[in-house]
Amino acid sequence: MAEKSIQLPELGEGVTEGELVRWLVKPGDKIEADQPVAEMMTDKATVEVPSPVAGVVKELKGKEGDIIEVGQVMFVLETDGAATASASSHTKPAHSEAPAPAEAKAALPSAPAAPTPQSAPAPMAAQTAGGMEVYPPPADAKVLATPATRRLARELGIDINTIKGTGIAGRVTREDVLRSSGAGATAAGAPVYQMPTIPRPSYTGPAGAAEERVPLKGIRKKIAENMQMSKHVIPHFTLMDEANVTALVEMREELKAQAEKLGTKITYLPFVMKALIATVRDFPMFNASIDDAAQEIVYKKYFNIGFAADTPNGLLVPVIKNADQKTILQLSKEILDLSKRAREGKLALDEMKGATITITNIGSVGGTYATPIINHPEVAILGMYKIVDKPVVKKGADGSLELDVIKSMNFTITADHRLIDGAVAANFLKAFISRIENPGVLMLDMM
Amino acid sequence: MAQNFDVVVIGAGPGGYVAAIRAAQHGKKTAVIEREYMGGVCLNVGCIPSKALITAGHFLHRLEHQAPEMGFTVKSLSHDMAQTQKWKQSVCDRMAGGVEQLLKGNGVTMIRGEATFKTAHELTVKTKTGTETVMAKNFILATGSRPIEIPGFAFDEKFVLSSTGALALTEVPKSLIVIGGGYIGLEIGGMYANFGTKVTVVEANKSLLMGLADPECVQVVQRRMKKNGVEFLLEAKAKGWTKSGNGVEVTVEVGGKEQKLKADKVLVTVGRKPNSDQANLKGIGLEIDAKGFVKVNAQRRTNIPHIFAIGDIAGQPMLAHKASHEGVLVADVIAGQNRVYDAKTVPSVIFVEPEIAAAGVTEEEAKAKGYTELKVAKFPFGANGRAVSLMETDGFVKMIADAKTNVLLGVHIVGPEASNLISEAALAIEMGARLEDVALTIHPHPTLGETMMEAAEATLGHAIHIIQRPLAAKSAGGAGARANV
Repeated sequence: MAEKSIQLPELGEGVTEGELVRWLVKPGDKIEADQPVAEMMTDKATVEVPSPVAGVVKELKGKEGDIIEVGQVMFVLETDGAATASASSHTKPAHSEAPAPAEAKAALPSAPAAPTPQSAPAPMAAQTAGGMEVYPPPADAKVLATPATRRLARELGIDINTIKGTGIAGRVTREDVLRSSGAGATAAGAPVYQMPTIPRPSYTGPAGAAEERVPLKGIRKKIAENMQMSKHVIPHFTLMDEANVTALVEMREELKAQAEKLGTKITYLPFVMKALIATVRDFPMFNASIDDAAQEIVYKKYFNIGFAADTPNGLLVPVIKNADQKTILQLSKEILDLSKRAREGKLALDEMKGATITITNIGSVGGTYATPIINHPEVAILGMYKIVDKPVVKKGADGSLELDVIKSMNFTITADHRLIDGAVAANFLKAFISRIENPGVLMLDMM
Repeated sequence: MAQNFDVVVIGAGPGGYVAAIRAAQHGKKTAVIEREYMGGVCLNVGCIPSKALITAGHFLHRLEHQAPEMGFTVKSLSHDMAQTQKWKQSVCDRMAGGVEQLLKGNGVTMIRGEATFKTAHELTVKTKTGTETVMAKNFILATGSRPIEIPGFAFDEKFVLSSTGALALTEVPKSLIVIGGGYIGLEIGGMYANFGTKVTVVEANKSLLMGLADPECVQVVQRRMKKNGVEFLLEAKAKGWTKSGNGVEVTVEVGGKEQKLKADKVLVTVGRKPNSDQANLKGIGLEIDAKGFVKVNAQRRTNIPHIFAIGDIAGQPMLAHKASHEGVLVADVIAGQNRVYDAKTVPSVIFVEPEIAAAGVTEEEAKAKGYTELKVAKFPFGANGRAVSLMETDGFVKMIADAKTNVLLGVHIVGPEASNLISEAALAIEMGARLEDVALTIHPHPTLGETMMEAAEATLGHAIHIIQRPLAAKSAGGAGARANV
């Protein structure tokens, strides 16, 4: 028999710690390899941590509610094998496969994966020399920096040619690189997004007031940071309009029964997704990111649609990958599945990553219009609202005016004004609404 | 049955085998395909065998010319070239065997055969026993280069030799004509001159090693080779050859006039060309430039994103150590690391006598890069105790620095062990060292390495072991003053 200390493994990209939600085992339990031993809540999701080896639980280090850092010993097992110092459990293989040339860990959150043209599925051959560029570009021959410093800059996703060296003869030092990465003097670990200096005013309530204080942590803390960062970085503007969705409602009613036969419930969201993707194809700047560090606009040739989901833990945004390649039926199923698991806190981290544009469906709750916040590094978010019966004035065939009752639905498009001009957003919303009002047109965009 | 790999490397030379080992270290299922020799040209018919023979030639030369002054009387000395070749082969076999061991030890699958792309994802490999299909997520092209033939001089390896043939002779030729005064021609020509061959070098340019070495370094070598009996015909064009007795008669045009040269053999070393016309590279749509190099980006990725190219086939300089560096780089890139080729210098070494080695830029190149004021100085090996005690006093270390910052830009060495000394210069340049950094590093005495420190001091204007202007006068002279030694 031997004792083995098991450390908290990597929980995901950029995740350095997690809150212990609950233990799934107790001392004395005999467990198998890969059996989940605890639920941990990170700033992104709740995950189950499996044991890397089989054995008998000897000691649990930490109680529910504790914050445990990645690499910290979590529990001790008695195993059959020979004694070894320690082992790390694993949630998912942390190793990322090539051929994507740049690993995301090199980039700031503002630059999801270094935006080299190669990281997108590139077309075979016929690439121009320009399409073969690497980011960050190689150090110019005149840049004075040691090979190790050059590599550090690359791993942090920084173009060393743009750093002004503070060393003798203009040498770019290791500190210069760390400083411009925003990582400050931290060691060469994973870079963290440095929140801009935003005042953090304290709050003191009236003495004796009935108040309760809970720590700002986990998903709530991450939401707070993301919202703050997005509002800080992106100049938002929102455009609102209403659509006559009478035809869409009819179509959905027709398909509803059909879908039920096929075992799924069909909502309006997949139709909105399809109309959105078709419109975004004509307005690629809505499916883009701004890489502030590189001062580049990254146009994405793939369509991953995030949709905001309200959960007991807070707002989560599951992502439907390559939504353009999926049918309405497939989208419906996936939406239902992701929403359910979001509510249960069972989404995998990468199911909430990589959206290229997001839809927020506030209509399911209420309100006529909202001004949503963009999910940085995306540049736009589409809001959809409640369907209501609405009287409208209609022009008859003979030119006479008459009242009609239609199904009406409000939409908003909130965009990053750095990239998207007001008139462009107006045209975008108009094109989108024209598709939603004539859902048959979606057939034309069908793949 | 197709075999599937994460990474397939085509060519097991100094680029390919290194790439394969690193890819395997990254946990990739890796194969290397080699049609000829494990270790490639370098280990079998290039760098390593030529160095073995050069060492032997140098040894003989020292026995004949330097030993007497040291007090030796050589009463009878004979040389058996066939035995020299056997020893050379043992050197090569040992190195190539080491490569195989390393590949095996790292779990790399070795496939012997000729690979051709069927599609961008599939290779057909012709082996001794048949044809295999090999597929991979990523391919690394490391198929190297081959000697260029010039019209009228098709290699028969009997009379008209390529470098490969010239390194395999079991008898020392009495006379040899070398067409091409580049580094391969001068290394092999110089080696045979040491063995007693009457060597004539025919070079089309107006100087030897044009564009390959610092002109002042070349002068030292040319002088020494002349002393050793080598003749040079510059601005001369080889027109053709005929058999004459047991040897050749080569027609050469010098200054508009034709001249006939007789020799046992003629060696043609006018350069190498990339093997990009093979393996159906064009057929799968790989972009190849006008000079025949496969086009790559700074990560050595080709226009087909899962295919990489390294070494001679991927561009100048065609040097083994550049290929190895790229091999590691590409394997790291395939493993998902963000890497790029950003070395400041590929040091070069030429094993002539005395050796030439360089890192960084020449004066001309520095000026072309926009450095307007340079500090340039030399320190001679004649002023170095170890060089004198080795009886190797020809040559110097020359340094070139930016006069504004004293940052070292280039180092050119001609002299004993230049090939071993240059690594310090390469490190200094990669680190962005200034002259002071090199000058203030204590170098052990008595060694050839002291010349680096002294050359840095000389470039700053105050070397100890040569006479330079007094410090006071120097500072009055201002920056950019050139210290000539």
